[in-house]
Amino acid sequence: MKRVNSNPRPGWKAFAESVGFNFHTFDGEPYWDETAYYQFSLQQIEQDLEAPTEELHQMALDLVDDIVSDEQKLQQLAIPPQFWDAVVASWRAKEPHLYGRMDFSYNGSAPAKLLELNYDTPTSLYETGFFQWVWLEDQLMRGELPQGADQFNSLQDKLQQAFGELNLPQPFYFASVTESIEDKGTVDYLMDIALQAGLNCRYIQLEQLGDIDGQLVDLDGFSIQGLFKLYPWEFMLQEEFAGTILTSQTQFIEPLWKCLLSNKGILPLLWQKYQGHPNLLPAFFDDGSALQNGWLRKPLLSREGANIQLLTADGLALQQDGPYNDSGYIRQQLAPLPKFGDNYTLIGSWVVGDSAAGICIREDNSLITKDSSRFIPHIILD
Amino acid sequence: MSKTFKRSKTARLIMMVPAASMILAGCGEKPVEVQVFNSPDECAAYYNPPAECKAAFAEAAALHPQVAPRYASKQECETDFGSGQCETAPVLAANNTVAANGGEQSQPQSQQSSGFFMPMMMGFMAGQMLNRGGMAGAAQQQPTAANRSPVANQPLYKSRDDRSTFRTATNTAVATQPGATSIKPSAVQPKPATMARRGGFGAQAAKRSSSSLGG
Repeated sequence: MKRVNSNPRPGWKAFAESVGFNFHTFDGEPYWDETAYYQFSLQQIEQDLEAPTEELHQMALDLVDDIVSDEQKLQQLAIPPQFWDAVVASWRAKEPHLYGRMDFSYNGSAPAKLLELNYDTPTSLYETGFFQWVWLEDQLMRGELPQGADQFNSLQDKLQQAFGELNLPQPFYFASVTESIEDKGTVDYLMDIALQAGLNCRYIQLEQLGDIDGQLVDLDGFSIQGLFKLYPWEFMLQEEFAGTILTSQTQFIEPLWKCLLSNKGILPLLWQKYQGHPNLLPAFFDDGSALQNGWLRKPLLSREGANIQLLTADGLALQQDGPYNDSGYIRQQLAPLPKFGDNYTLIGSWVVGDSAAGICIREDNSLITKDSSRFIPHIILD
Repeated sequence: MSKTFKRSKTARLIMMVPAASMILAGCGEKPVEVQVFNSPDECAAYYNPPAECKAAFAEAAALHPQVAPRYASKQECETDFGSGQCETAPVLAANNTVAANGGEQSQPQSQQSSGFFMPMMMGFMAGQMLNRGGMAGAAQQQPTAANRSPVANQPLYKSRDDRSTFRTATNTAVATQPGATSIKPSAVQPKPATMARRGGFGAQAAKRSSSSLGG
């Protein structure tokens, strides 16, 4: 694994905008960054990332079985009690899931360490599955990359296959928050793939979802029987229409049981069950005591690196403020992100259905990866 | 031996890439002739066969509770439609479908009150071409798929501040007097009553103001 400087494609921004990638720059700073790429060997990809991703995914699914039959665990994950039955029912009914992403600290040699699961509303999907793929093809064509370079990125193929096989109700609706162009980009991408898989797709703004007698409805009042929602379950469970989730005849993607896995509390529970596993970090539910060197504290429910507090091995304190200070916390041993030049590097590893489906790489100047962290493409070359 | 790739075979987009041209729905749509009346008797007085007037009225009346605009209170309803011009709305199943041609409409299954209010029906639109009086014998043909009007027989309403104008349930003005008028079918397509509560999801997004709700 190494970081290689690279010449960007001339005019890539205009091209990006022409294919719907309107969030390639974030607050004036590059988000998509092709001035460099990461290079992996096939062995690093297959043995250190792909195989552990599928193994950890199965371990997490096995853990769900334990959680749904243990009220203490549901409590530890801060699932509101009035939804316990529905969460359990959603799991027991084997409601199908579409995708997820796990984040790793990996430096090319030591085992990849699982930092967390993003199993409900993972984003950077379009950048991974489409734009990164096109970058590789373009750069191969331009001779900017060595012939034979490949990429661990079967995301779009696998998503299309999944949409074709999930047997979803139609029309199938996709919803995201109106204000977020990034989320709309993610949803547009998923709709595009679903369309290619032959689904009748419709978009509705999340805030426009309606409720008639406990049934979710679209703008014309027709019932919504299938809905992909790019909106966290833990929010939905505490908002005005929370009760509608219990009564509406709607198949959700991701299904309700995913709220168990998108919760950071899954990390201590994984450690309890599989203590010592090479890809897991020691993790515990936070007892409120002072943080020790080489540990970090993060909320049960948070995203984009928000509200993380960490102490390096040398006792240097780092803190990322954010809007997620209203849930419990866990603590996890710090697996410092590897540093390439001035950059701390995090690897996101995608899962579609139950298969590993590719990686994305984020870089930041800090140990905490955030929504503003740069997206860097990668290649496989032996 | 063929090499196995770790990447997708193709990655194409069909929707996110803007189409070269768009065909606007409704452009060049031809108007069709319909008739509007306050009552079946008035309809018959315009040289229409009384039986057909009654049938068209019955279809419109059946559609009425399904498409009439709904209000949370009687007061709100009367603000739009006038004092004494509103009635309680029955409960409807959420997934009621409104047939494109009102003729296939079944009666609402339940007359139980929903707690909502709706304006009273003040007239009806006969979308099927009625057989004009005096020609009844000659033109006694059943509507077929080909000649059936694209406009559903449907209820009409009158707002508080404009008692002469007939309006559809979706507030499209169609005529200011009884008799024949011409309209574009897409403008008077019945839709289920808009009685959904909305805005029940998304509050946390506004509160947390982040660029993305993903992660």
